[in-house]
Amino acid sequence: MKLKMMMLAALLAASSAQALEKGAPAPQFDLPGLDGAIKLAKLQGKVVYVDFWASWCGPCRQSFPWMNEMQARYGGKGLQIVGVNVDAKSDDARQFLTTTPARFAIAFDPQGATPRSYGIKGMPSSVLIGPDGKVLLEHSGFREADRAELESKIQSALGGVK
Amino acid sequence: MKTLLALAALAALSGCASIGNVQPWEKGTLARSEMTFKDGTLFNRYDDHIYTSREASSGGAGVGGGGCGCN
Amino acid sequence: MTINKESGMAASILSAALMLPGVQAHAEAPPTNGVISVGYLDYRDSQSGLDRIKVHAPSVSIMAPVAGVWSVSGSLVKDDVSGASPRYHTAVSGASHMDDDRKAGDVALTRYLDRGSVTVGAAYSTEHDYVSRALSLQGSYESEDRNRTWTAGIGHSDDKIDPVNQIVTNERKRTTNFLLGVTQVLTANDVAQLTLGYDNGSGYFSDPYKAFDNRPRTRYETTLLARWNHHVAATDGTTRLTYRYYRDSFGVRGHTLGAEYVQPLSDGWTLTPEVRLYTQSAASFYYDPVYDSKLGAPFPPGYNGTGYMSADQRLSGFGAVTLGLKASKQIDKLWSVDAKVSAYQQRGSWRLFHQGSPGLDALRAQTIQIAVNRQW
Repeated sequence: MKLKMMMLAALLAASSAQALEKGAPAPQFDLPGLDGAIKLAKLQGKVVYVDFWASWCGPCRQSFPWMNEMQARYGGKGLQIVGVNVDAKSDDARQFLTTTPARFAIAFDPQGATPRSYGIKGMPSSVLIGPDGKVLLEHSGFREADRAELESKIQSALGGVK
Repeated sequence: MKTLLALAALAALSGCASIGNVQPWEKGTLARSEMTFKDGTLFNRYDDHIYTSREASSGGAGVGGGGCGCN
Repeated sequence: MTINKESGMAASILSAALMLPGVQAHAEAPPTNGVISVGYLDYRDSQSGLDRIKVHAPSVSIMAPVAGVWSVSGSLVKDDVSGASPRYHTAVSGASHMDDDRKAGDVALTRYLDRGSVTVGAAYSTEHDYVSRALSLQGSYESEDRNRTWTAGIGHSDDKIDPVNQIVTNERKRTTNFLLGVTQVLTANDVAQLTLGYDNGSGYFSDPYKAFDNRPRTRYETTLLARWNHHVAATDGTTRLTYRYYRDSFGVRGHTLGAEYVQPLSDGWTLTPEVRLYTQSAASFYYDPVYDSKLGAPFPPGYNGTGYMSADQRLSGFGAVTLGLKASKQIDKLWSVDAKVSAYQQRGSWRLFHQGSPGLDALRAQTIQIAVNRQW
């Protein structure tokens, strides 16, 4: 009986994508940005909020003003928000930015290697990385109700930075 | 025997997971309105209503639409 | 009026124009924008060179997201129907002239869950001789990777029929319908849907305004609907194909094949040509315009006052073709306009695979539809 349960568990595990565990080291990325490259390694020591977004993703339009607010409020305390764009055509992303501006770092990943390495389950998705480079949380979607929870997670992550 | 069959079915299903294994960040085209099946638009309702009034076939896509004495 | 009760039903109006992509990546995510649409239909049909029925139908529809995890939608329509329809077959003389207003409304409430949604809906329609009330419940459930969505629904309608000619009084018709469907993402450019429907009806199905129309008091219908949307990278257009198989206990079997091609152009314009082919068999109790030698029209041969019978053209065997063209323009971030024209023709000789019903004149119809949409 136990063997069968283990086989079942293995099958189920194999069929789902490799999601990141809390405490796992955040996968590195080195992507072109709006002005210059964005490397995760260079941001060591900061609390990094990585947001995977696209021009075709509805909730992204609501998340941008909130991320602008978070970057303004906590940037001085060590928060760096990086919006990783996954549009197949980066021009669509630039079009989006003209109507919905970002006051945080923007990186372009049209090949989708970064969301794949992070095991992203939905769009948008966000990953909070601690100053030690380890994953603190992974969150799918962006709804009204998520703002407070995400902000408190950012605050407690920053609380650990001296 | 039964559990073997269940496991075989599950194995087959996880194999099936490779059809249409599109990742969330690859769904830009699928997000376009013309790629969805949401057709409760005004024009769809008008068309459905006209065809139901002139032909014997009806329905197929939704439940609980009211009727009419359409001649 | 057959109404689709899929969740987020007006999301297709939130067109992903270059300037305002408002559609969700997941089919079952709550909408981010609301939309209100005002529309108008002008329908006319003709037969044997004479005008038959004219319909003018203004309508309004609204869809609003509520509190992040809900959406509400509703619509109202007023059908202004006038003209004459034949009392039997395509007989022009003695056609029953009518002028009627039908008012109908529907409302639906959807709750979005982590991996699916639940929708409850209600519909109401009233005209001077026919009142219909319907309720529905539909749910959807997505797979973890959101590439497969299952849908199930149940609905019930309760109609009261009280024709002005008092052939019958206080009649009823009750129908329960069931739906089970699956939507599957095939590739980043392809998505398909398969839906099975079953309707079970009992009550008064005859048409009181058609001479000697007597239909069974039960009707069981089964439908199978297959759809495939495919994006063509080379043109940035999308082909949308639909096939529906219908069969019922009246003996009618129908095949519908629809094809649309959505082509975005510059400046927010989109052009969508459409072709629809339809073929159906006659109902088992439909009789051809060949009348009893002694009694004459409209009596079927051997008429003895008993048995099921109908001379309704809609239950005859025929084929039909629709050609349509829709033009849409996204005016700015919030406003868009759609206009569509179509031509329809129905002929016994156009029935596919088998002989159609003889002796009926072709039916022709034209429609013009306009809609103005505003998001917020």
